[in-house]
Amino acid sequence: MRVNLFRELACAADARVEVRGLTKHYGGVAAVDDVSFTVEPGSVTGFLGPNGAGKTTTLRMILGLVRPDRGRATIGGAGYADLARPLEIVGAALDSTGFHPGRTGLDHLRIYAAAAALPSSRAATVLGVVGLGDAGNRKVGGYSLGMRQRLALATALLGDPAVLILDEPANGLDPEGIVWLRRFLKEYAEAGRSVLVSSHVLTEMQQLVDRVVILHRGRLIREATLAELSGDHGDLETAFFELTTNQEIRP
Amino acid sequence: MRPLIISEVHKLFSTRLWLWLLLASMALAALYASLLIGFSDDPDTMTAPLDSPAGQQTLFAVASGGANTLVAVLAAIGVTGEFRHRTATATFLATPRRRRVVLAKLLVYVAAGVGYAIACLVVVASIAWPWLSAKGIDLGLLGEGLPSTYAGVVADVTLFAMVGVGLGALVRNQVATVVGLLVYRFVAEPMVTAVPALSDWTAYLPGSASAALTQVSLSTQNYLDPWLGGLVLTGYGLLLVIVGARVSVGRDVT
Ligand SMILES: Nc1ncnc2c1ncn2[C@@H]1O[C@H](COP(=O)(O)OP(=O)(O)O)[C@@H](O)[C@H]1O
Ligand SMILES: [Mg+2]
Repeated sequence: MRVNLFRELACAADARVEVRGLTKHYGGVAAVDDVSFTVEPGSVTGFLGPNGAGKTTTLRMILGLVRPDRGRATIGGAGYADLARPLEIVGAALDSTGFHPGRTGLDHLRIYAAAAALPSSRAATVLGVVGLGDAGNRKVGGYSLGMRQRLALATALLGDPAVLILDEPANGLDPEGIVWLRRFLKEYAEAGRSVLVSSHVLTEMQQLVDRVVILHRGRLIREATLAELSGDHGDLETAFFELTTNQEIRP
Repeated sequence: MRPLIISEVHKLFSTRLWLWLLLASMALAALYASLLIGFSDDPDTMTAPLDSPAGQQTLFAVASGGANTLVAVLAAIGVTGEFRHRTATATFLATPRRRRVVLAKLLVYVAAGVGYAIACLVVVASIAWPWLSAKGIDLGLLGEGLPSTYAGVVADVTLFAMVGVGLGALVRNQVATVVGLLVYRFVAEPMVTAVPALSDWTAYLPGSASAALTQVSLSTQNYLDPWLGGLVLTGYGLLLVIVGARVSVGRDVT
């Protein structure tokens, strides 16, 4: 039985993420170099690249956590800091470590529900959605990595957002958890929302994503639908390997 | 602003630190008050006799002796904890206008400071009242100068809460902030204020300004007037909060 958990989105334009020329240097090295791409509503976009490619830095720039040297990212036309009720537009799970170990999962969620002026009942709701309903009153310090990933996802879902941005969400999930996450994100996108999900593990992404944005050494090397990419290169892993090793000779 | 304040109140009360530091503040107030009363008949005592208004003011002034530093520690741990536990990410995602977060924390820790101060004053009163009546001394809780002492204690503790928020926001590193705060309070400033030749200057240091607020006269040091002490301490607190919010809180959260 499949239940559609998510309301259809009223206005798809609110869910479009546009990244234009984002650039960030750390100590003279370009962590992200003139990166542009678009995340379309109704699809899951895979944000791929090896470790150190600049994925996390890009996501943090989209979310106003890191100030770009150049470029701009907008969500439904507005910069993140200009969103009046950001958690209801964008939900982000960037880090499975962003918790106070002495707080319970429920308290963690209530804190951010309160900050976003959401009803505190949302905390229990989203905990149930990610399958942590029984662990809500336990301290996060005792959670496994997989449980923290789920709690991070629950935090992202608090505002029932139009856009989901997830940084390596499958890290630490067991195979069952990964299957669950895949189904969950597909349903999310099918409701007309946008999902941007980063990963350096390509096999996780093959069955999940509709579109891919591939980053290598801070530069965008390909933005395409999975179908386009498969047409050119076969499966995602082959495509990725060919693109990242041959990028110097590509026009 | 209201949702943010509720969020910060949740943060404060969802771990136990506030309770431990409150109990420690109350224990220190009890200790100071007991020492003061217990040795009040000692001929070498520096405090005024406890049947005089000055003596009773000093007795109540010790209420802030532990609470001021500990509330600053509480506030500093609360602010720097956002960076230590990387919750700053979620906090700034919910509230991209980061200075509002600093303001909300400031209000919540100042309120906590009022609570700590009142709790410690109650501790002193509940030790002093029965003990002094047993000694045949009548303690009027609204006696001469005492309301000003109470006000001084509350101001002292709340201004230290502000210092803690500002210092934490500026430094961001939890261990450095707390260790720095304690070393300054208990080692650095006492060493400098012990030099008589510098006393015109050292009266303006935060610790001396704090002591000036309550005019707690356990040493021979000269203090500023209470109002000036309060103003000086407010200046330190505001400066730290403003510099912290402008310079440090806006930095990249990676
Ligand atoms: N705060 C930082 N200070 C210095 N260098 C950084 C910082 N954050 C990221 N980098 C560097 O930027 C590059 C991109 O990192 P990141 O965005 O984390 O890549 P990814 O998420 O794709 O693994 C890496 O070389 C990394 O070392
Ligand atoms: Mg990363």
